[in-house]
Amino acid sequence: MIASMKDNDELQMNAYCDGELDPASAIEFERRLAADETLKAQYNRLLSLRRTVRSLPQFGVPAGLQARIQSALDADRPSQVDRPGWASRPVQAGRPRQRSWSFQALAAAAVFGAVISSSVMLTMERYDRQEDVARAVVAGHIRGLLAPQPFDVASSDRHTVKPWFTSHLPLSPQVPDLAAQGFVLEGGRVDVVGHDPVATIVYKHAKHTVSLTTLPRGQSVSDQAIAGYNVRSWSDAEFTYIAVSDISSEDLASFERAFSEGSPAPEIK
Amino acid sequence: MFDEVFLPHMAEAYRLAQWLTGNAYDAEDVVQDAALRAFRGIKSFGAVNARAWSLTIVRNTAYSWLLKNKSKAVVFTDDLSPAEQQKLEHEGLHGASVETPEEIALFKADAEDVQRALAQLPAHFREVIVLREMNQLNYRDIAEITNVPIGTVMSRLSRGRQLLITLLGDRK
Repeated sequence: MIASMKDNDELQMNAYCDGELDPASAIEFERRLAADETLKAQYNRLLSLRRTVRSLPQFGVPAGLQARIQSALDADRPSQVDRPGWASRPVQAGRPRQRSWSFQALAAAAVFGAVISSSVMLTMERYDRQEDVARAVVAGHIRGLLAPQPFDVASSDRHTVKPWFTSHLPLSPQVPDLAAQGFVLEGGRVDVVGHDPVATIVYKHAKHTVSLTTLPRGQSVSDQAIAGYNVRSWSDAEFTYIAVSDISSEDLASFERAFSEGSPAPEIK
Repeated sequence: MFDEVFLPHMAEAYRLAQWLTGNAYDAEDVVQDAALRAFRGIKSFGAVNARAWSLTIVRNTAYSWLLKNKSKAVVFTDDLSPAEQQKLEHEGLHGASVETPEEIALFKADAEDVQRALAQLPAHFREVIVLREMNQLNYRDIAEITNVPIGTVMSRLSRGRQLLITLLGDRK
């Protein structure tokens, strides 16, 4: 072999390929990539390998496995109370996989494009920031589910929840009661996104929890599934809203409609 | 609780199990066993990352299952002698040197070749590649699941990919 890559280069190239280099090192690496033919050939080979591996057929969960697992669990804990949500789950389990393919295509395209133009890096960085926001919001939702209760203030009365937010946060959203539309107000909590405390309104739909996190306007994220939860985001004049729940994306869409219609015009003080 | 934490990751759990065990039947057993472990251990779940937690259980279940049922089929790099490890790290599986860039066209390997090459990799290399490419996890999550430092994840990924490239190149 003619030019063996130094180990460090090899690691850097892999980290760059995986989007794990910090922005400064990534730009530096792109500069080298543009100047070094050997390095570029190695990198193209790595991308080619990635495409090949990712194009392998993915295994779907076999029919009946869920049922087998459920009966195994039932046998394990016969006194276990019934677990709502199980029946609706198989559909949910399939969804993130489909999503991840379109994400994959996007990521591969982004990585490939970065070789040609470093301006793509800016887009990727912005994308990463959005991803971080989405992940932080979903993490808040999961923490909420794991806590004894998913809210800091429990009330189905919006005249209790709204003032609670106002007293705890610099910006507080409208808190509409959407019980008529099937989304019962449960309460509110404070989540932390980045370093900022933000208001999260908690609703219950059937037996599912819906967390609605409100961020200052302009931080909307793409609609997606993260860790099995559907994420839906929209904005109005004041806030960007990110709804997270394990209900279907259709139900989440009707939640958005209900919330947008139910949200009274901003009060003038 | 179990519904919220483990079940959303069933599809991924199954995919990981299939890659680690190498076939669909074993993967079903592993996922079922892992689900049971997760169900029993759900009280110990304190982390935020339900996905990593679930996949960690699947991964560990897959390995103990493999060691129990097919110990000969799994190669761990730790099992090799230092000389063998050295050789593997530097030369690849068959002592073939890495091709020079000029010789390398884009891969024309079909799915079967790639699957076979992946199956030939020692387990520690295969799992990081599967977690990265199939499950699309970041380095931090992979490190958490495989219980090694991020630096080790990086070098295993890098080395594993080199081995794959060599294996696929050898085919011609």
